[in-house]
Amino acid sequence: MVIQEQMSIQKKLEILSDAAKYDVACTSSGVNRSGKGDGMGNSLACGICHSFSADGRCISLLKVLFTNECIFDCKYCANRSSNDVVRASFTPEEISELTMEFYRRNYIEGLFLSSGILISPNHTMELILEALRLLREVHHFNGYIHCKAIPGADPALIEVLGWYADRMSINLELPTAQSLRELAPHKNRKNILKPLRQIQLRREHTKDYLGLPGGKQSLAQFIPDYHSSNGTQLVRKVWSANAVVPDPQIQEILTSETRLSPYWNNPIMDRKYVPAGQSTQMIIGATKETDYQIMTVAETLYDNFDLKRVFYSAFMNVNQDSRLPDTSQGPPLLREHRLYQADWLLRFYGFEVKELLNEENPNFNVLLDPKCDWALRHLDLFPVEVNTANLSTLLRVPGIGTNSARRIIMARKSAKLEFNDLKKLGVVLKRALYFITCNGKMMYPIKIEEDFITRQLISSKDRLLKGIEPDITYKQLSLFDDVNFVLAQGNQIQLAKG
Amino acid sequence: MKRIYICEDSVDGIFTAIYLAWSSRYGHNNIKIEAKSKGGHYTNLELFSDYITVDTDYELALKVAKSIKEKISLDVYEILCRIALSNYEAKADLMYRFLILGFHLGPKVMECLSNEIVNQIFRINKNVNNEVHHMLGFVRFSQQENGLLTSVIHPKNNVISLITPHFVDRLPEEKFVIYDENRHLASLHIPSRPWVLLELSDLDKDIFKQFTYDEDSYQDLWKTFFQRISIKERENYKLQRNNLPLRFRKDMTEFQP
Repeated sequence: MVIQEQMSIQKKLEILSDAAKYDVACTSSGVNRSGKGDGMGNSLACGICHSFSADGRCISLLKVLFTNECIFDCKYCANRSSNDVVRASFTPEEISELTMEFYRRNYIEGLFLSSGILISPNHTMELILEALRLLREVHHFNGYIHCKAIPGADPALIEVLGWYADRMSINLELPTAQSLRELAPHKNRKNILKPLRQIQLRREHTKDYLGLPGGKQSLAQFIPDYHSSNGTQLVRKVWSANAVVPDPQIQEILTSETRLSPYWNNPIMDRKYVPAGQSTQMIIGATKETDYQIMTVAETLYDNFDLKRVFYSAFMNVNQDSRLPDTSQGPPLLREHRLYQADWLLRFYGFEVKELLNEENPNFNVLLDPKCDWALRHLDLFPVEVNTANLSTLLRVPGIGTNSARRIIMARKSAKLEFNDLKKLGVVLKRALYFITCNGKMMYPIKIEEDFITRQLISSKDRLLKGIEPDITYKQLSLFDDVNFVLAQGNQIQLAKG
Repeated sequence: MKRIYICEDSVDGIFTAIYLAWSSRYGHNNIKIEAKSKGGHYTNLELFSDYITVDTDYELALKVAKSIKEKISLDVYEILCRIALSNYEAKADLMYRFLILGFHLGPKVMECLSNEIVNQIFRINKNVNNEVHHMLGFVRFSQQENGLLTSVIHPKNNVISLITPHFVDRLPEEKFVIYDENRHLASLHIPSRPWVLLELSDLDKDIFKQFTYDEDSYQDLWKTFFQRISIKERENYKLQRNNLPLRFRKDMTEFQP
């Protein structure tokens, strides 16, 4: 191990931003807060991207580790204790000053502070807490702060941290407890889920939080409005105490009645508790879980832990560890992309995981996005009449997004919509035309037939995130193709009956 | 004969022209309104038309604003202000056509998205809003020796008055200037005073040339961070360009050599 006594802040930033880059969540969304007239900072619920790095990802927050020292030895992590890398640590003062000066120049929307584990979880959390306290109380920083809770830290520390941070996250790291045991021997699932639950309960308990927009979703009975034709809101069903949760560990933590936090009374604060909610992250492709397993975990987290976001991170074998999958062909970006698409379907389109995947088809189709894939398996529900279908039906049409669905509902109040109107409203007709009618007519006289539509959809090439395409070869479908091939990542791809 | 009202390229200028054109009772179809930017030229002189030059009249503009707010909605008023600040060539006449519909249909005019005029308004509004949102993130301040924060921008639409309030709210204790170099407009904020929008004379423009942008150690730190945060295995310049179009980069610290 290399120990350097006097390291410049430049050098520290180099090391500690480099070490933080694998963390995905760089969003600054979820909280609206105007400036206070003094100090510095405000926050917009929609979030603001300040730049985009060479990998095309948004830079919104100063994303750094407090330290890359770590007593844990997680196999997938570049900062694991068994790695021989240069180690560095910021001081709370350095973190807070860097944040303020970057913020003044409008480089960033706020701070995203994560950390390796220095000495002990509690010690690390105390340092993070001090950095946040300096920002909020000494510099009067009113911008966005996202910070990590360290698994295994004292609940009292998490309690206090939540009053300073806007968003907190604890990385689930791997979808199942077993994988976690194998790859991160020092972490355990209970230590990860407990703080998640603590923060959730705390957020619900903050009284002034009730009824606020973006606020308490749990317990409220939002039910998808499958029946109203002009429904304006479609929100996922949420927490119920007797929900069927497959994972016994999750079940145990959910039913736990013990008050996890020693400070149960609200301190007098002008802030809410973790106002932008919680997020978590899972590594994709390091272990053998299927998309079905991953999405089921994500659904459980959304439904039972009131998470705002679950992030998926394509695995990269940064340590060249031979016990882990080889990623020299590049990380599984397409798989990650499909998971995000499905995640959107869960959160904004009223889908449930069991509609998209099941034990027999546990992985997403590589060639089609999850919504197209679903629609092709449910052709009996189509075509849909755009001028009368309700919101939740429109949302299920490939090529119609949340915005265009809402616009359709608005625009059809005053006029019968035609196909060229739909284009103006932002509908992607290339995809939608197979699934909709306008005033009883389809755009072209086509047969609603699975093979035909599948072929048409696959041949239009706009579906993939820019830059992912080179990895996939589009095979021409031939008559005799019994399409059932296997990709490098070991995903079984089943094309709709070749 | 057709009448063409030529007005100043500003919210008040266009509203004044709308007032005069409307109250002339000359018939909507015989009227056209054109906003002429300063130093700009007539886009296309038309034969057999009367050209009427409109002097901006704040009182008349206020009347138009008031009736839009009362008879249509505050939302539509704000939308029209953004349209007036857009770089869409035929915006003044489009606003006129839109108001004919708007005064007829009332607040629900924006719902008629399949109407060509409404749809165009909707799209331009979205375009301006998008650029505003981009600028909120992409504006870069440089610190001068005396602590003043300066920023130079080159937006397509005239968004400076739309973005400045955000920075005033965010940086209440900072003295800062944002300068739109194409339009020679600058917004200036001094703590605990209302911010002002200034039109710069040729002389004032030279002031901005004196500002240095490279003697700030935080710029280097930011560049370091920017480079380090990218994941090599995921490099994707196409996606980067898609999210952050090249036109913004000349004013952004991290893209300077």
